[in-house]
Amino acid sequence: MISNEFIAKIEGHGSLKIDWKNNKVKLNIHEGERLFEGILVGRTAEESHWITPRICGVCPIAHNLASLSAIEDAYGIEINETSKLLRKLMMAGQIIQSHVLHLFFLVLPDYIGIDRGTELAQKDPKSFAKVLLLKELGDDIARIVAGRNVHPTRTTVGGFHKIPTKDELRILLEKLKETKDAVEWTAKFFSKLEYPELNVELELVAHKDGQIVSSNFGATVSIKDYKENIEEELRDYSTAKFGKYQGREMMVGSLARLAIGFKETPSVDGETLGVDKFIDKLNFQNPFHNNLAQAIEILQFYKQARKIIEKLLQMEMDAKIPTSETPSVEERSGKTLGVEYKGIGAVEAPRGGLYHEIHLDSSGIITYANIITPTVQNLTSMEKSSQALLDQTTDKDQKEREKLLNMLIRAYDPCITCSVH
Amino acid sequence: MTKPKIAIYDFTDCEGCEVKLVSLRERLLLIEKKVDIINWRLGQEHFESGPYDITIIEGTPVTEYEIKLLKELRENSKILIALGACAALGGIPGIMPEKDRKVWYEKIYTAQYHPKGIDASPLSAHVSVDFSIHGCPVDEDEVVKAVEELLSGKAPTYCGYSVCFECKVAGNPCRIVESKPCMGPITQGGCKAVCISGGSPCYGCFGIRDQANIPALIKIFEKFADENEIKRYLTMFHNRTPQITEQVKKIDEYKK
Repeated sequence: MISNEFIAKIEGHGSLKIDWKNNKVKLNIHEGERLFEGILVGRTAEESHWITPRICGVCPIAHNLASLSAIEDAYGIEINETSKLLRKLMMAGQIIQSHVLHLFFLVLPDYIGIDRGTELAQKDPKSFAKVLLLKELGDDIARIVAGRNVHPTRTTVGGFHKIPTKDELRILLEKLKETKDAVEWTAKFFSKLEYPELNVELELVAHKDGQIVSSNFGATVSIKDYKENIEEELRDYSTAKFGKYQGREMMVGSLARLAIGFKETPSVDGETLGVDKFIDKLNFQNPFHNNLAQAIEILQFYKQARKIIEKLLQMEMDAKIPTSETPSVEERSGKTLGVEYKGIGAVEAPRGGLYHEIHLDSSGIITYANIITPTVQNLTSMEKSSQALLDQTTDKDQKEREKLLNMLIRAYDPCITCSVH
Repeated sequence: MTKPKIAIYDFTDCEGCEVKLVSLRERLLLIEKKVDIINWRLGQEHFESGPYDITIIEGTPVTEYEIKLLKELRENSKILIALGACAALGGIPGIMPEKDRKVWYEKIYTAQYHPKGIDASPLSAHVSVDFSIHGCPVDEDEVVKAVEELLSGKAPTYCGYSVCFECKVAGNPCRIVESKPCMGPITQGGCKAVCISGGSPCYGCFGIRDQANIPALIKIFEKFADENEIKRYLTMFHNRTPQITEQVKKIDEYKK
């Protein structure tokens, strides 16, 4: 029983079942079901964004914000400008945290001949110092804005329980400035890595202006219609569902966002972004390039974080939580309102589009929840790309192909714990 | 002196406590120098099947596979440590009662689905646990403290004070005085009252402290909260903690 049958260095428990004779591969998912959609029912609006981050400790902020926007959508609450900026900043921190963890601790070892990510400390102490600086940066943004590096404590329906002080933001800005070299080095470093060759027709899907956009055949639809367009299939070898976009295998996340042009990040201090030269190196038909896309995104979100903090420092921050539109406690406790509230919250999480749909009864108790995570949507593409890799590497020996398959799965940065939830 | 051989496991959970291990950064490097991590799926491919001096387990054993593996790990480990609320308490996954799982499998997956999960319990429901590093997620300093105590040959110890002590140090106004339920008074310290400092409630993820007077706290809650709200607070992380479920039962019986 004590064995190493699961793919190492990915979040959660999956394995590839390879039929070498017939050259076929299946992606098996073994994670236990926690049944979060059931756990949420019977809980309150204020508890949903507390519970759902526990779906994933690598992207808890994404779940926190998706739940909050679902509830705010249900109640028709419009958050103020300060909250909007702070939530964007939280998300930038989240993406930096998640991508840094994935790129340096899970992916990089394959490319430089080490096993555990921390072995870089001996092999190349200077580079590892940069990695630690980046890890600290992501954690610090999350801690100062969200209250803790894993599982937020400061957010609430309508805004924030507590917002950072300008002094805290100034310290954060200094930290960002100190990290500039490390961030640029990361993009350069990952643009010079030699990624394995692979050619797959990828249906890349990402959000743009409140819509779900596909790079390929798929039609553009409103995020509100997520459920009709992202179908989830059951597979007898998986505890996670497999997602398809309008019937086709789909890929979401960094590579998809850059293909769709998700963020045209504005310049900072008059500097140009300097990401175009890296984007030019991307091959949108090779899923291994998702890792370069993640490195580019670290740079983009780093710049976005600086810009947001500079803006916050210039304005008067508003810590108030809007109440006028919010049903009062008496209303929410059910005496006056008889209607059911329904809301959809969607965010671009580190690994791609994340959807939370929450329904509440008149007393503010959750009656229904539906969650579609990015990795659910990537599973179909992971399997398709694995098959393509098998088909395109028949000249290589079994051991090497196995290694490449594991690297390919890691390139997707799957979060299997999210996918099962 | 040979370095202690360590295995780190994650059962069904969010893996946030392992993320916290990486967040130790420089301190993780220092720990790595003193131990030999011979099995850590999330961190490395290198794998040895044991026996282990210390096995650290995050998550709840939900599937039959995990429950069997846990028992085998217990037999192959000198010291077994629960890392975080899922492993130590059952935590958030433990909110789902075993009897309700079938209904939810049908609703979430369909009736044709063959589930893998049996129930979400803490490690201690299946094997003896030598020490729990509490929290959802764990606190970095608490991890280092426990590891240092273990490496020095000392039995690790829990904080001798409640969250209230740390909450006062943090300068927070008392939630109970503001008529908001708070599990702080019956909960072990070590978290630095991080949730309350952020404006969130305390649901007691650091574990029930010694000699906690749970019925007395519930009596206080009853002054300003209805029974459903009280039950929701008590069961956020402790739906599998006998001391708590006993009290929840009493609330239900009283209602009848």
